[in-house]
Amino acid sequence: MGQRRRAVTNPSSRRVSGAPADVARVPSRKHNICMVSDFFYPNMGGVESHIYQLSQCLIEKGHKVVIVTHAYGRRKGVRYLTNGLKVYYLPLQVMYNQSTATTCFHSLPLLRCVFVRERITVVHAHSSFSAMGHDALFHAKTMGLNTVFTDHSLFGFADVSSVLTNKLLTVSLCDTNHIVCVSYTSKENTVLRAALDPKIVSVIPNAVDPTDFTPDPSQRLDDRITIVVISRLVYRKGIDLLGGIIPELCLKHPDLHFLIGGEGPKRIVLEEVREKYQLHDRVRLLGALEHKDVRGVLVQGHIFLNTSLTEAFCMAIVEGASCGLQVVSTRVGGIPEVLPNDLITLCEPTVRSLCAGLEAVIAQHRSGSVPSPASVHARVRSLYTWRNVAERTEKVYDRVSGEEVLPLDRRLRRLRAYCGPVAGTIFALFAVLDFLLLLFLQWLVPDRVMDVAMDATGPHGLWRPGPSSKVSGTKRAAEKDSSS
Amino acid sequence: MEDEAFTDINGKAISLDCQSHSGLCREFTVSSPKVSVGKVMVYTCCVWLLAYTVFFFTENTAVLSSAILITLLGMMLHIHFVKVDHESLLVIGSLGIQVSSSYASGRETTKFIEMSKIKDIVINEAIYMHQIIYYLCVLLKDPSEPDAVSSVVPLFQSSKPRLNCLVKVYKSCQEILSKC
Repeated sequence: MGQRRRAVTNPSSRRVSGAPADVARVPSRKHNICMVSDFFYPNMGGVESHIYQLSQCLIEKGHKVVIVTHAYGRRKGVRYLTNGLKVYYLPLQVMYNQSTATTCFHSLPLLRCVFVRERITVVHAHSSFSAMGHDALFHAKTMGLNTVFTDHSLFGFADVSSVLTNKLLTVSLCDTNHIVCVSYTSKENTVLRAALDPKIVSVIPNAVDPTDFTPDPSQRLDDRITIVVISRLVYRKGIDLLGGIIPELCLKHPDLHFLIGGEGPKRIVLEEVREKYQLHDRVRLLGALEHKDVRGVLVQGHIFLNTSLTEAFCMAIVEGASCGLQVVSTRVGGIPEVLPNDLITLCEPTVRSLCAGLEAVIAQHRSGSVPSPASVHARVRSLYTWRNVAERTEKVYDRVSGEEVLPLDRRLRRLRAYCGPVAGTIFALFAVLDFLLLLFLQWLVPDRVMDVAMDATGPHGLWRPGPSSKVSGTKRAAEKDSSS
Repeated sequence: MEDEAFTDINGKAISLDCQSHSGLCREFTVSSPKVSVGKVMVYTCCVWLLAYTVFFFTENTAVLSSAILITLLGMMLHIHFVKVDHESLLVIGSLGIQVSSSYASGRETTKFIEMSKIKDIVINEAIYMHQIIYYLCVLLKDPSEPDAVSSVVPLFQSSKPRLNCLVKVYKSCQEILSKC
């Protein structure tokens, strides 16, 4: 409880937990950061927008940032986004759920090329589902670079798949210099799963762009109460609970409407419910939403409902609250840390508890005792900003860049000490093979014959705002599709 | 006008020759090194050793004769279709761009692009095999919609010079293109 209270106080006043006090005094150097994750635009989700927004704020602070992800359909090669943010879409095979197949080795040549030509100093991988992120951490250590990892999700400990993932995570993170989690619950989870020293784990929450999510009460219809749900329609998001809530509440309150945005395999559950109880006029399924349309949906509602079964840090409820909605959510994972108690109604992840919570909020609405959307927005907008996230991430980079990278022999000893005799030995072998492969590649294509990439962002960046700017051929060409 | 040494993306030396025929006409020729005798020997030896091992087990002379054929045919195909000695880019302001490549066998292919179809010449980045490289390319436009890029013609495809060489060619090309 004490931890929770700390979490909901204004985060900007807090330092990155786990970082020593003297870090703040070190003059901040400019880093060349490489963000690696399987998940990036055009795929949509929390991790994707986290990477994008964080990169933009780091660029604003004068760092050089490049993003590496796998190719999405025809989108492969090199692209530039706003402010010269360079994205490499590498042609690696996608295996499952937009995550690349991992063999530990095949991604080394391309990743090495990126690290060398961009003169990367810190490799920052995102999401534990991303095989590419783990590969990048592994290769970066082989190449002698410092690494940071951000975990965006929570895991269990009991079933076979989580035991295996946790073992892989242990191996992958035992070499990583610093780990960032998005909430204290997530930190606890990650420390336990990967058997880490809690000192090297920081908590930096996610943020929302408050200018994107402003309330607009005029969009609400006064003759009804609208409950908005925006999430992917998957099991993890508790869509089965939602399917239980809808008929129960709709029977009791004839003026209640549901607005559901998102797409996924569980859509069928909601369609069944709608069919069975003849709720076609009251439950609207909007399908997949683009990020820019989310606000337009949110402002139509009075109550925001989140039924997640597991969540490290729920961006959606912050977005909902930022649009001035009353938030009802399940009490799982890091959600209790996210918003102050009077802005959120927490329930147990059961149909009955969620119904009771919603009933209470609906009763408040009818009596008119809810705070106005503008006042809710004013409170939320200062809670989570990307600038604050970037500032705190910068401190992590400052700290990490001063650390030494273990040479191969000590790395092997450490792997065997941390990961047990069997897994440790196997991965020590992988580390040696990776090192040999790197030597071979260095012989095949030496570092000196690789061209240093044109620097688009950062202290000496070539990027100038405005489409007419004549920077160099590279820049202008890169905005076109990079074919071949 | 030979100056600083250029290399291709694999670190092999190449030479760039810039000829200024007039203010609006320039020719750039990138020449790669000739086929080295050592390389031919290595490939021939590989094929022959393989053929002899197969012959040792099968005792079929057809293997040996086919090895001879393979080596000869391979060499001929290589110098005729693969090995490019020179690649040249002739930029004539107000007229167009001529791209030609001459193969080791003497075969030449030439392509001419009218100025009305050319949108720009740029340096771009691409993923090539297991590397990420810079390359020079001509952006083409459809005369009906002058703002869109309809297709891309990569230049110096077989010699693949490095960035410093590309920048040099790029700058002189832009000088000419900006005049007309």
